[in-house]
Amino acid sequence: MKIIVGISDMKISNNPKDTLITYSLGSCIGVVIWDPAVKVGGLLHYMLPESKLDRARAQQNPYMFADTGIPALFKDSYELGAVKSRLIVRVVGGSQLLDPTGLFSIGKRNYLIMRKLFEKNKITVSKEDIGGSVNRTVSLDIGTGRVLLKVSGKGEFEI
Amino acid sequence: MSRVEEILALINHVPPFPKVAERVMELIKNPDVTAAQLAEVIQYDQVITANVLKICNAAYFGLPRKVSSLDEGLVVIGHDILKDILIASSSARFFKGKVGVGYQLEQGDMWKHSVATGIMSKLLVRHIKDVDPGSAFTAALLHDIGKRFLSSFVADDFERIVAKVDKENCTFIAAEKEFLGVDHAELGGMILEKWEFDQSLVDAVKEHHNPKALEKEPLTALVALSNSLIISLGIGSGADGLATELHGEGVKRFGISLDTLQICMADLLAEMERAEELFSI
Repeated sequence: MKIIVGISDMKISNNPKDTLITYSLGSCIGVVIWDPAVKVGGLLHYMLPESKLDRARAQQNPYMFADTGIPALFKDSYELGAVKSRLIVRVVGGSQLLDPTGLFSIGKRNYLIMRKLFEKNKITVSKEDIGGSVNRTVSLDIGTGRVLLKVSGKGEFEI
Repeated sequence: MSRVEEILALINHVPPFPKVAERVMELIKNPDVTAAQLAEVIQYDQVITANVLKICNAAYFGLPRKVSSLDEGLVVIGHDILKDILIASSSARFFKGKVGVGYQLEQGDMWKHSVATGIMSKLLVRHIKDVDPGSAFTAALLHDIGKRFLSSFVADDFERIVAKVDKENCTFIAAEKEFLGVDHAELGGMILEKWEFDQSLVDAVKEHHNPKALEKEPLTALVALSNSLIISLGIGSGADGLATELHGEGVKRFGISLDTLQICMADLLAEMERAEELFSI
């Protein structure tokens, strides 16, 4: 079944027939994790870097922010039997508008906080497709771990 | 006829903007106007009438019983929501169907992008003085009307446009202008002019991709900012992606910080859910 992950949303599955997909990542970031041993995978589409912006909202929807969404993604995958050391992590998104003044830097901030979190928790990213001024759609096939990335104006390829 | 002449000639064939909206807006200016007087005008537009009833009966209002007459509906919704319904109903007809194929937009994407930009403008208008919320919503909703008519020409030159954007890291709109002789913002401004909208709305549509839009009139700045945030969020975005330029520092003159923008982005999702019916108008 095709399971759509919205903006500020996350889905986990261990059904090999499922495909998790999120459309049109701009400055948002999509984090895709998959454990080949148990075939458990998850996809997070977060919108903003830090939950300190609005704690109440982060409590209501942790998937809106990197610092609450990423821990939730990993934690939920462990509950389905995934193991941290086996997880293959792929990240896409974090685009930016062209802004020489640097104010609209949400894509970059979204990326930097993720790197910081990963470093602290010793998580290695196996593939990434980040930045630029493109839109990205990403999907994960739970049965095979295949990740397809579609980039606006450039077509579709596997990462 | 040259390419650009061919595109500009299209403007003569753009259908008129429904007059009902304009007449009702005029009536609403009188605080004593009655629901019956409004209904008298609205009833002649079946699309608007149906949408008023549909929205009154939406879960959002939580009414205990079904509203079935226009008079009754107009009492329920109040003038602010009526204005939104009028403008959305009048605009939707131009954005429906496979109108954005040239921009690789799926059916419904262009309307989704337009409504989201309209909603964002209503969140941001609280922070920008001297802008009428009704004008903000209207201009934001119509900002991409030029795409509706430029789409098929973009399709013809798609490869060249995308290659230029990719290779030169330029904006999509600059590539439109180079290969087609006119871009969708300019074309949109001309269409609003033909529809006899106020000059401030014409300018806001025309300038919505101007990198310095935040230094212009408040309405122009608001529309450009709303559009940029919706593009960043990828809502109803196509092949043009985030390839647009806006000098963000300009928001400082309105006292808007990056945190304010992020809060508006966070608020947008909930507001979009609340306004779900607008998307299906």
